Amino acid sequence: MKTLEKIEVDALVVGSGIAGLQSALDLADQGYTVAIVEKNPSIGGKMISLSKVFPTLDCASCITTPRMASVSHHPRIQALTYSTVDGIKREGKTFTASVTRKPRYIDEKECISCKRCEEVCPVYLPDEYEQGMGAKKTISIPFTNAIPQYPVMHPEHCIRCGACARACPKDCLEFLQEPAPVEIKAKAVILATGYETTPMTAKKQYGMGALPNVISPMAAERLLAPHGPYGRVLRPSDGMVPGSIAYVQCAGSRDKSIGIPYCSRVCCMYAIKQAILLSGSLPIADITIYYMDIRAFGKGYEQFYNNARAMGINFVKAKVARITEDDKHNPIVRIEKQEGTSAPEEVKHELVVLSQGLVPACDGTKFNLGVGNNDFGFVQLSDETSSSAVTAGTGVFAAGTVKGPRDIPDSVVDAGAAAMEAAAYIRRL
Amino acid sequence: MADAKKLAEQLKKLNELRGPVPQALRDRVAAQNKAQKAILDALKAGPKTAPELAAAAGLPQDKTLWHVAALRKYGKLADVPGKGDYPKYELKGGDAK
Repeated sequence: MKTLEKIEVDALVVGSGIAGLQSALDLADQGYTVAIVEKNPSIGGKMISLSKVFPTLDCASCITTPRMASVSHHPRIQALTYSTVDGIKREGKTFTASVTRKPRYIDEKECISCKRCEEVCPVYLPDEYEQGMGAKKTISIPFTNAIPQYPVMHPEHCIRCGACARACPKDCLEFLQEPAPVEIKAKAVILATGYETTPMTAKKQYGMGALPNVISPMAAERLLAPHGPYGRVLRPSDGMVPGSIAYVQCAGSRDKSIGIPYCSRVCCMYAIKQAILLSGSLPIADITIYYMDIRAFGKGYEQFYNNARAMGINFVKAKVARITEDDKHNPIVRIEKQEGTSAPEEVKHELVVLSQGLVPACDGTKFNLGVGNNDFGFVQLSDETSSSAVTAGTGVFAAGTVKGPRDIPDSVVDAGAAAMEAAAYIRRL
Repeated sequence: MADAKKLAEQLKKLNELRGPVPQALRDRVAAQNKAQKAILDALKAGPKTAPELAAAAGLPQDKTLWHVAALRKYGKLADVPGKGDYPKYELKGGDAK
């Protein structure tokens, strides 16, 4: 192991999604020093992989990248990417976090992000950023607008041909690099670890992820993104432009049978957003949304929903019982309508998107800082009526979806609240 | 550019530390190269859709589409503009006939 790198800051932010970025910026702009730890090779979280946001249809990366750039250039913020927080200890009034920088197998000080290593690497891998639909290489820069622009090598997929090292103009490949320990001392901690979507396998009636044309909403975001895996909307089984697309709402929320009885708050709106974007890029496609009830609760959301109806998107109040497929991989959706005739019906589509719910990405109690969880594994606030960021752990604050499902504007607002609470706490010390 | 001797030493040390490159990985890369070559060869005759490429290369359609996406990303083939249920792909630049 390398020698221990030591960092001392006012606040430690765990996670660099939109909530983590915003709380770090709000703290640093007030004069506090901040360290952000991100487990992925780039900052930006889930939001950077989205196509557009509702209800304004602003491009998601146009909102996220300026914040990512501000964080990476801020004189008072240090961002540790591709690093994990292994533990946080409370010592009097300070926290000591043990962090591991995972090896990228390159010399980050020398790398000029020229991408030559990626160009010559002969091994292609499914790209998780494209939800497996596109490809990356054993050594590659995570995605076009990743920050930092360093390539990451996956040694388990390396055939040790040495092509990357021969192509590198700066001689910065380090095949023998090891994980590097970092110790971060901070006065306050902000948890902004975000969410994961419910897995494709959560509901066995919906194909267990084995039906190629039943996809996740994150995959649909990539299909809609201008620099997505196919450069246009195609279905994954055979590259056909889908003529009939269905959304299955509450496919991972409000469902006691899979242990997620709560509403995930964003699925109605992202499904409507994707439906509107799909009808823009595929004007002749039939788009159907099977829903229990549409929850359009934010500013401008109801109007957005009404616009979608007016555009001809077909809203069917029905519960989907199961999804199978025919011999051409066309998904067959078995529904029971909640209005009019209620006899079960089977409808053939060419692509189905499961509107998955939100579950916690990280257990906030694992650091033993006095933070508690609610019944669903999200971080519990100590008093929701008086603050949206204070947890039961002194000096530990929560920002964004770590506290429960919420949309992007809400995450940004309460990231600001977490920064204010943390700043007030640090000042009182 | 890396010093050839230093690189050889590093790779040798890597083999000692991690053992030889697993056969399963070698087989996977060989299959990948064969599939990509079959797809690019099939395109020499002119633009084709993903299912046409799958038939010509003897590969499953979903795997073919993945390889097409990979080759497209790394600049080996390009989209053919036009309408239709299945978009066509062609060899890019100097590779096309």
